[in-house]
Formats: sequence, C-alpha cells, structure tokens
Amino acid sequence: MKKKILSLLLIATMLLSVLAMASCGTTAPPSSNDGNETLAEGETADPNANLPNAAGLASYDVPSVGYDGSAVTVVFYHSMGAKLQGVLNTYIEEFNKLYPNITIEHSSMGDYDGVRDQIKTQLTAGQQPNIAYCYPDHVALYNMTKKVIPLDNFINSTIEVTDSEGNKTVLGLTAEQKADFIEGYYKEGAAFDKRGTMYTLPMSKSTEALYYNKTFFEEHDLKVPTTWEEMEQVCADIKAIDPECTPLGYDSEANWFITMCEQYGSPYTSLDETNHFQFDNETNRSFVKMFHDWYKKDYVTTEELNGSYTSGLFTATEGRKCYMVIGSTGGASYQTPPQVDGVSLFETAMATPPQVNPDAPKVISQGPSLCLFESDNPQEVVASWLFMKFLTTDVAFQAEFSMASGYAPVIKSVQENAIYKEWLDSANGFNNMTALSVKLALSQSNAYFVSPAFNGSSVARDQVGILMQDALVCSEADIDAAIAKLFKDAVGKCKFAIA
Amino acid sequence: MTNQVTLSEKNMQKVSAHQKVMKVVVQVLLYTFLITMAIIVVFPFYWMIISSLKSETEYRMAVPTLFPKEIIWHNYVEAFTAANLGRLFFNTVLVGIVSTVLSLVITVLSAFAFARLEFKGKNALFAALLATMMIPGELFTITNYITVTKLGWIDSYTVLIVPFLVSIFYIYLLRQNFMQIPNELYLAAKVDGTSDIKYLWKVMIPLSLPTLISITILKMMGAWNSYVWPRLVTSSEDMRLITNGLRDAFTNTTGTANYPVQMAAVTVVSIPLFLVFIFLRKYIMKGVSRSGIKG
Amino acid sequence: MVESKHKWKAWLYLSPAIILLLVFTVWPIINTLRMAFLNGYSLSREVGGWTFGFGIENFKMVFNEYSGFKQCLINTLLLTVLTVPISTMLALLIAVCLNSIKPLQRLLQTIFFLPYVTNSIAIGMVFEAMFNIVGFNSSSPSFGIINSVIGLFGVDPINWINESSPYWANITVLVIYIVWNALPFKILILLGGLQSINRQYYDAAKIDSTPRARVFTKITVPLLSPMLAYVVITGFIGGFKEYSSIVGIFGDDMQAAGGKSLDTMVGFIYRALGNQEGIASASALILFAIIFVVTMINLYVSKKKTHY
Repeated sequence: MKKKILSLLLIATMLLSVLAMASCGTTAPPSSNDGNETLAEGETADPNANLPNAAGLASYDVPSVGYDGSAVTVVFYHSMGAKLQGVLNTYIEEFNKLYPNITIEHSSMGDYDGVRDQIKTQLTAGQQPNIAYCYPDHVALYNMTKKVIPLDNFINSTIEVTDSEGNKTVLGLTAEQKADFIEGYYKEGAAFDKRGTMYTLPMSKSTEALYYNKTFFEEHDLKVPTTWEEMEQVCADIKAIDPECTPLGYDSEANWFITMCEQYGSPYTSLDETNHFQFDNETNRSFVKMFHDWYKKDYVTTEELNGSYTSGLFTATEGRKCYMVIGSTGGASYQTPPQVDGVSLFETAMATPPQVNPDAPKVISQGPSLCLFESDNPQEVVASWLFMKFLTTDVAFQAEFSMASGYAPVIKSVQENAIYKEWLDSANGFNNMTALSVKLALSQSNAYFVSPAFNGSSVARDQVGILMQDALVCSEADIDAAIAKLFKDAVGKCKFAIA
Repeated sequence: MTNQVTLSEKNMQKVSAHQKVMKVVVQVLLYTFLITMAIIVVFPFYWMIISSLKSETEYRMAVPTLFPKEIIWHNYVEAFTAANLGRLFFNTVLVGIVSTVLSLVITVLSAFAFARLEFKGKNALFAALLATMMIPGELFTITNYITVTKLGWIDSYTVLIVPFLVSIFYIYLLRQNFMQIPNELYLAAKVDGTSDIKYLWKVMIPLSLPTLISITILKMMGAWNSYVWPRLVTSSEDMRLITNGLRDAFTNTTGTANYPVQMAAVTVVSIPLFLVFIFLRKYIMKGVSRSGIKG
Repeated sequence: MVESKHKWKAWLYLSPAIILLLVFTVWPIINTLRMAFLNGYSLSREVGGWTFGFGIENFKMVFNEYSGFKQCLINTLLLTVLTVPISTMLALLIAVCLNSIKPLQRLLQTIFFLPYVTNSIAIGMVFEAMFNIVGFNSSSPSFGIINSVIGLFGVDPINWINESSPYWANITVLVIYIVWNALPFKILILLGGLQSINRQYYDAAKIDSTPRARVFTKITVPLLSPMLAYVVITGFIGGFKEYSSIVGIFGDDMQAAGGKSLDTMVGFIYRALGNQEGIASASALILFAIIFVVTMINLYVSKKKTHY
C-alpha cells in the first residue's frame, strides 16, 4: 500500500514538474531544450511575422540572376502509380536535356492525403519537399507555416535563363503560355486570399460528367437531359419503362451539393474569416428538398446510399440497374459497358451534367495542382519553378500524362498534338471510355468553377455530403423542418469540427 | 462415431463407459467450437488471397464474389515488377532483426532489474513507466520527428530502429514471467558466485523462452507492419520498408489504390512471415516443455 | 533484500531503456503538456511565427465547444466495456480448448495466429464487404455474407453499416471486428501461460477426479491469473486507444453513412493533430487521466486476485 502511494506521488510530482516547465515555456522558450525550440525562437523573434497582413502581402524575391546553372536537387512528392511514374521519368530525362544540373527526386506518398500528412509534418521541421501535388485545402493548411511560395513573382518574371543548348527563355510565363492554360483551372491557383495571390499551377484535372446508356436512350427515344427539369422528366420516363430500376446514380453527394450551389449562384462557403460557412439558405434547402422527393420516387441513388459505386448499377447485367450516372471523368473506365463473348451489351455515351442554366453551365473541377515550397537555397527554388513550369506547360508531357491517367490536360494546345488528337479521335463508348471522358472534360472547359480554399474547407465538403445523404433518406413527416434542422446541424458541425 | 466407441467399450464397467461417452461428446463439442472459430478467424486471410486474384472490375463489384470468376495471376506479376521488392525485403528484414535483437537485450536487462533487483523507487518507476503506455502514441510522432531531425538521423537505418527499441509492454510481460521463477534459484546462484549475466543467460532466459519468442514475433510483426513512421523519416527509395513500398507502388492511374495488386503484394510479403511463424512455433513448444520440466 | 549493496547495478541494467525513454517518450510527453496549455496552439502556426498565450482554453474548448468530443467519449467507453470481457473470455475458452485436444492441435494453433500475418488494410475491407448491403432501400437489395448467413436462421436482414443503420448495429459490427482483432494476441499469451502450467496440478486433479469446471476455476484460472491480468489491463488500455478498427470499417471520417459519429477519443486526437495540436494534446491528457484511473483500479483488483 505504501509503495502504491509512493508511486502515485511520484507520478504526481512528475506531472507537476512538467507543468511548471510547460508554463515557463510560454513566456520564453526554455533554453534547456538542446535546441529543440530554436526554430520557434528564431521565428517569433521577428515582430512582424505574426501580423495578419503579412500573409496578405506575401511575395517571393526571385533571385535576379534567375537560374545560374548550379547543381541542385529538387524533391517532388506526388501520388502517381507506377504507370504515371514511368511517364514522369521519361519527361524528367527531357527536362534534364535542357537543365542537366537539376536532379529531380520524386516519390509517391500513396494518395493525396498521404502527401498532405507527410508535408504537414515535414514543414514543422523544415524538411519539406520543393514541389508537391496539392489540393486547395492542403495549400491552406501548409500556408499556416508561411512556407508556400507565392508564384506571382515567378509567373511575371522577365529574367532570362539560358538552357544547356544556349537558348534563352524567360523565367516567367509568356503571355501565350498564360493564355494557353484552361482558364478555370488556372484561376484555382488564386482561390486562397482576396487579393488573388497565385499559390498553385494546375497539373492534371478531372470533372464530373453524365454517363448514359446510349443504346437504351435510342431504343426508347429518350432525350439526354440538359436541365434538372428535363432530368426529372427523363427519370419518370425511364421509371415507366423499367419500374425496377433507379434511373440515375450520382456518385458524390458532396459534389452534387456544391455544384448545385454554384449553378444556382447561392452561397456555399466564403473566404470571410468570420463567416466561412454560408450554405444554410433558402435556395439550397429547396433544391435539397427537391432531390429528397426524387429519392422517394426512386429516381436517384448515390454511392453512400447505394452502398457501392453507382457504376456497379450502370454496368449491371442482372438485377437492379441504372441508366445514367453522374460521376468523375477520372473513373470513366468503370463505366465501360459489360461484354459477352467480346460484344458490348450497350454503348455508353457522355454529356455535360444537367444544369440550372444550360447557357452558363457549371461543373466542378478536381484533380491535383502543384505548389512550391521555400528552401534555404534560392537556386533550388528557381530550379523547382523551372520544373514545375515544364510539367504544366510542356505539350508532349501534358499529352502523354493525360493519355496515361485519363485526366484532362490543363493547357489547350495539347489538343493540337497529333498523337493526342489521334487518341481523342479513337474515343468510343465501347472500349475507350477514357478518351471519351477526356474529350468531354475538354469540351466543357469553360464551365469549371472552384470553391474557396481555406483551412477547414474540406470539413464543409464532408458535412454537405452527409447533409445530402441524410436529407435524401429522411422520413420525417414535417420534411421542411427536418431539412432545416439538418442544415443547421451541418453548419454547427463545420464551425467546431476538427479540420 | 459415438456408437462405435460404445460398442467397443461394451464389456467395460458401466460408469467407465459413461465417462468415455462423455469424453467423446466433449471432444466433439471442443472440435466443433474450435473449427468454427478457426473458420471465422481464417476468413479474412482467405479473402486477402482471393482478392489478390480478382480483376479490379470484379473487385469493385457491388456483390463481392466468394471466388474469382477469372483468376488473374497477372496481379502477382505486377506486384513483383512494380515495387523494388528485393530492396524492400532486405531493408525490412534488416530493420526487423536488428531492432528485435536490440530490443530483446534492453527488455531482458530492464525486466531483470525490475523483477530481481531491489532499489529505491523501483515500484514508483515501474508504475510511471506503465503510465506512459496510456498515452496515445500518435501524439509522440510530431515531437519525435522534430527530435530525430535535430539529431540528423533522417533517412537512415538508425531512425527506423532506435526510437522504438524500448517497449514497456515487453518489459512488463517479461517481468511478470521472471517473477514466476522462484527467487531461491537466484539466491542460490549468488551464493555460488554466479554473475548476474550468467544467471540470466543460464536460468532466466531458458525459463522464459516462450515469452521471449512471443516478444520476438510481436516485434518482427511491428517492423513488418509499421507504416506511418518509416514513411515520415525516410525519403530515399533505398531506405523504404515493405509496407511503404507496397502502399505507394500500387496506386492506379486515378490515384486510388489498385487493391487486387496490393493484395497480391500483401500476400507475397505475408508468406515469409507465415513461414517464420510456423518455424518459431516449434521453438515455442520446445521452450514450454523445457520450462515445464525445470520449473 | 537481494543485491541491496549494488544498487548501481540495477540502474546500469535499466540505463539503455531509461535513456531511450527520456528522449522518445518523456520529452514528447513534456511537449504534449506544453502544447495542451498554450491556448489554440498549432504547430504550423508556431512555425509561421504566431505566439500563443498560456491557459486552459484548450480544455474548455474540448468540453464546451466540440460537442463531438462527448460522443467520442461515449463510443470509446462503450466499445471498451463490451470488447474487453468478450475477447478475454473467448480467448480463454479457445486457449483452454486448444490445450485439451491432441489431434489437429498444431494446425488449429497455427490458424488462430494467422490474423497476425494478415494485413490490416485487407481485414478492414473484408469486414466492410461482409456486412455491406448494396441498394438497401431499393426493391432488390443484395446482401453481404453476414446477412445471408443470419437469413438461413430466418432472421431478417439487418442494416449494419449503411445509411440509416442504427447505432447498436454499428457498435455490434465494431465489437465483432475488435474482438476478432484482439483474439490472436490474447490466445498467444494465454496459451503460452497454459502450457507453462505444471502438469502435476492436473494429474493431481485427475486422481481426485475433480470435475472439469472445478479444475478450471480452482487450478487453471488462478495459475493463469498473471497472464489474464496482463491481457485484461492491456485490453483496457488498447480499448481506450481504439482507432484503427473504426477507420478500417467506416473510413477516415469515422462516421457511419449519414454522419453518425463513431469517432473515438484517439480518432478525435488524431484528427486534431492535423493542425490543432493544442486541442489534440488537451484531449490526450484527458484520455490519459481516464486510462490512468481505470488502470489503477485494474491493478488494485488484480493485485488482490492474482497469484504470482
């Protein structure tokens, strides 16, 4: 018994002493930490560092010499599979022909979240890579350390760099290069603050498309819906033909909600620090209620509600089917029609998803961008920029990467590439769905939008997805009140969510 | 079967026959129970193997199939070619063996100190150590990462081995085992002038062999399955461990994992572990019987 | 008692462990405390040059603002209270049964350890597929294997993990998964313990023709008590730190379809580590306090009941 009291006392004193140390740590970083705190100390010494406007005025001083040809290593994190890494390696060789002293070390972190978690931790110890795959909310997270490099000074730089062949090129982007980017993708890089500071360049993109069973549509003389009203009518028609089916599958509940907000022009989220989450409004409640009614009529299902990707229903050969799917263009190969003895059972076709206003279509833009991180060696940063510029503006690379990934290229001139053109022309709804989907993605490039990116924006995305699911299946008698409550809860969860 | 037994035991005493029947019934129940449990336990393993033989489309089917419609051996080919399996194996085995050996030495010494030696603050220290087990290890990751960066250990074997050498779990487990060994043996050894180390080696270790082997298995498993830390602290391909290599190599073009190929790779790396296990199991039995005779 | 003259020896033996623990365990704990008491602490922000005031804001936030935290607490407690007794008893039963059969013993032993060589990614996906229902609300749903099996006994399909699934069903799935996960380790430890019990005790019992149940309660359990104490204590600690099993079945957001939170304490902490290390540290300390109290109770009970 005595021993137990003793041990408890010891633990208590241990905790207390630790507490005392902790409280010391707040007034001044403890000097006895063998340098563990030097990083923080060095940073806090700068009195201006934590002023809020410091972030707003972020800029990077591009070395006036540009790239001086020195030997540097650029570390690049991504989430490419083996096939895409093969493409990347080929083009690293091409890049090295121009800049032989720049070594590119790239590695896959498995998936997008893997990249984020790795970099987030590495940033705290100054071990971050030079370039990384990123999604907007990742950049917002990294930006808290102020180590993401604003690209404006690079983009606008007129400094000349000389490559190994003696050709002089401008370090920044030329007017043609800027104009070559698909505008919706390019603008995503400026969604981080109100000033529109550029933090990312697009790498490869996907969007959502309406996949439909063309054979079935032609057989029954159905019209491909372009508006939501038409969609409702088509669903009713299909239901009359095949009462057992669920006409439409929409894979991502969150994308659905966010896209509807954009199409109606009603608020979703905002960069306003005091009022990020603005999606609880009349318009949004009414479209959610409309889709609730659709669900009750068995017009539509989603990935979560179905319990599996809706592509499974689309390609089903028996049992329950659906005849339309709204899903990512990146997953087009899963909508490939099933074959029996090498003959496709039907033909899949693709169209822009239904719109509120078909004259001004809105479709979501997804897929990785690239961002640049600070480094002690400015030449490393310049070299990284050169590589980043190469990946995003090199026509051959963009073309081959798109063909290998099924994602759309981010520059328009790729479509003039002969090999790429041929590939696009080979698109069909039987066995080359990938090309078909890229073709569609390119054709709706005027319709892309992005949501504001801030720290916590991914929480809003999760919450509206859940809201959508709950609202669709809701079986309360007073549906308006139930939906209103779901909205209110979702906003509440966003505000106090662990981002 | 019951019938047969009763027949052959007919001329035995009634009580005895009844006992035999009971025994058979008990045995049948035992086996039924164990085999049912075994099937439940083994199912995910089976699933892993059949998944590794499915096409990605079949894998994604709404109603999962219990047996692949078409066996895709190619997944294994892909698993072998996509990842640098040789290097990954080598690193993992090296890290696994070195950290297991070092960990065993540290654990044995510490457990011995706690079980056999008397010193001031022993119980308090032990309690404090146990208390640290209660803090979620995830919290340590960030601080430890900063520490190893300052130590300049990033991207080395050291950083994969050293930070997790001490496990309070193992010390606790072994201490319990050591404490079961009669103290008189130690006192006798002291009287004979046997050194601590010799006593440890000759008496304590053989007697706790089952526990030590359990620890070895757990530690090897840990090395085999660790994921977050190795990925964080290694940047070059040369330093990657198997799980990292596997997870990172088999993402498909859309950035999501190609699960069948991943399963194939997981199956491939599970096999050596499984063999090691079967091999070590004999030693567990041996260790148990030895401690049975001597203890 | 023994060796009191050579106290330095004990410390010498302990030194490697202590040095490593100081660097890789004690220092992180100290750092955790520091972060817990800096209001709104975020490591990224600190690197970015922010400063934080000292106080207990993080603790207040955890309790008052993050309503989800209480649900995490309830989930964790419920899972622990359910899984520890079930898995321990089942493991004990299997270990005892294994120990009392001859043929197939080795094969079955090997099988029961198999889960150790399966990969956690595989297991999570298997369980999800086993319980999943595709198209639950539609006219022709297809059921996972579990619903097919219980269907054979005339039980209606249960919505285990899909949209609108009841909380108790979610918890049941998790309990099954966690117990399944915990079994091999517990069987390993308990079987090791059983096989080191001297046969003489059983032989003596046989001569006295002691009933099986009595042998079990009077010989097996007491002699196995150190191992039992070990698996129960580690079971409780592990239970409070439950995390990966929920992710395995319900995904990173730890929510059943429809947003019902199945989050646990560690899940909460883990996600807070994203960029709110202050909140993460504060909740970790709260978790620590809970585990500490429970373990003390455990140790107290096992001290009274354990036979060394």
